Amino acid sequence: MTTTILDVQGISKRFGGVQAVKDLSFSVGKGEILGLLGPNGAGKTTAFNMIAGYLRPDTGKVLFEGKDIAGKRPWDVCKAGIARTFQLSKPFGDLNVIENLMVGGFCRTGDRARIRERAEWMADFLGMGRQREAEANNLTAFDRRKLELGRALCTEPRLLLMDEVVAGATPSEAGEMVELVRRIRDMGISVLIVEHVMKVIMSLSDRVVVLDYGELIADGEPQRVVAEPRVLKAYFGERYVQSRA
Amino acid sequence: MNTRTITATPRSAAGLPLGALAAGLGFGCVALVPLLVDDPFLIHSLIMVLFFAYMASSWNFLCGYVGQLSLGHAMFSGVGGYVSVLMFTQLGLSPWIGMLFGGLLAAGLSVLIGYPTFRLKGPYFTLTTIAFAEIVRIWVENTNDFIGVPLKGAEGLVVPAAGDSLWAFQFSSKTPYFYIILAMLALVMLATRLMERSKLGYCLKAVRGDRDAAEALGINPTPSTLAALAISAFMTALGGSFYAQFFRYINPERNMGLELSIDMAVMTIIGGQGTVAGPLLGALILTPISEMARSHLGGGLPGLHLVVYGLVLMACVLYFPKGAIAPLGRLAKRLTDRRGSRP
Repeated sequence: MTTTILDVQGISKRFGGVQAVKDLSFSVGKGEILGLLGPNGAGKTTAFNMIAGYLRPDTGKVLFEGKDIAGKRPWDVCKAGIARTFQLSKPFGDLNVIENLMVGGFCRTGDRARIRERAEWMADFLGMGRQREAEANNLTAFDRRKLELGRALCTEPRLLLMDEVVAGATPSEAGEMVELVRRIRDMGISVLIVEHVMKVIMSLSDRVVVLDYGELIADGEPQRVVAEPRVLKAYFGERYVQSRA
Repeated sequence: MNTRTITATPRSAAGLPLGALAAGLGFGCVALVPLLVDDPFLIHSLIMVLFFAYMASSWNFLCGYVGQLSLGHAMFSGVGGYVSVLMFTQLGLSPWIGMLFGGLLAAGLSVLIGYPTFRLKGPYFTLTTIAFAEIVRIWVENTNDFIGVPLKGAEGLVVPAAGDSLWAFQFSSKTPYFYIILAMLALVMLATRLMERSKLGYCLKAVRGDRDAAEALGINPTPSTLAALAISAFMTALGGSFYAQFFRYINPERNMGLELSIDMAVMTIIGGQGTVAGPLLGALILTPISEMARSHLGGGLPGLHLVVYGLVLMACVLYFPKGAIAPLGRLAKRLTDRRGSRP
């Protein structure tokens, strides 16, 4: 039985008249890759932002390794051991690759030599060793995504939140990212991934949870969940489900 | 020297970083000037270049690295200047001590003002800094006496003569002032270099790059920016004290006016913000232009130097968006690469 690293208990978030997330509960096991699915506007990013500290939940708890981190600020969440990437990558454009990676390292230690050593290792791990002195502004969109991922890893997290990491990537780049995520999991880091590309989610996730209109509608193994009528209805509509029946 | 790229510092044959060696040699050569030249106007002009390089470097310490445009820094200069002059005239304390107190007061004031203003971004931040600085300037300009302390409003304060005295920060020759401001500039540049390689420097550069991304990496922007602001205000206040002692006169318009804030910002932007040597380069380019515009054309066309600033700024933004330091940095890198590739 896997131990739970993240336990989301009944979190909700309302923006004015819109209930973005309603009483959402799920958990992530240690060393698990959990896919968070749902059509556009389902509340995935809102849930993601509540876990990462960018939004305060109206109700509920977010237990990370048993401690409630709901409402904590992003830097405290990071220091607790949760790192994140963004839907639109946000590299520090006028810093080079190594400097970008080093920023993440200062989260754990002030030892500049150790941080630099780790950043050099991370550049190689990402396959960006030859670009270590390149300014982030001069990187391709996919390399920027990888850089952001590496920067998050430099904070030495135990849980990594990834928001649509293969959006806009070519098939070969998506394959490279899938391989990277697997290697990250092999390092003992749990992963919560929000993704639209089904091929990626199906090949990566140990388990998936599906949201629709802010509510959890399915939780289980990827192959089983994607065949569930409620999930098909959320993605393709009622008529599609009826036509299959 | 473009210090944004910190990887693999090039070193001299003696093992010293080439940048440090070049800076040491540069400062050494400048220090020889008063020994070789006996022209008070030239020394005065050099003092003004070094003074503006110092002030721009103090501004750059925060604004260049955080990427926020403050046009209220002259307020800290005024605080430093007034405190040192008043402590000398009212309490008989050495201006060196007054300088320190002025710096500390400016640092405290900066934290009080910075806490609410750093929540704002872009033009809102800039307008708020102008507003705070103008409130203080207008208040001083219209206050002759504050709880028994004579401020003398717009008229300003004259520092009474005390003869040639290091204690009183007064010298008959301009040469001691030259060495003092040269040492101050060396110290502020060293502090900037140390800061940009420290955790604080990385935090500030991350906040400049993207605030949300910085927060996701464990950086709380408020303490980092406030610490840098306090240091920047402290250094600016020391510069304000120097200015008051050098001219032995202080008034709100000269020491804490908007024009001084614009000078600091424009020189840094033209030279290269977020770099150690950029403000110095900006001062080297702009101060002589400004002095010439003032001395040759200023009588007939007051404010002309600001028009010249605008033109230089536009040219710089168009051709060197990272400042005039960027092409020099590329040239230095090419030279060190060539040197490194030699067998």
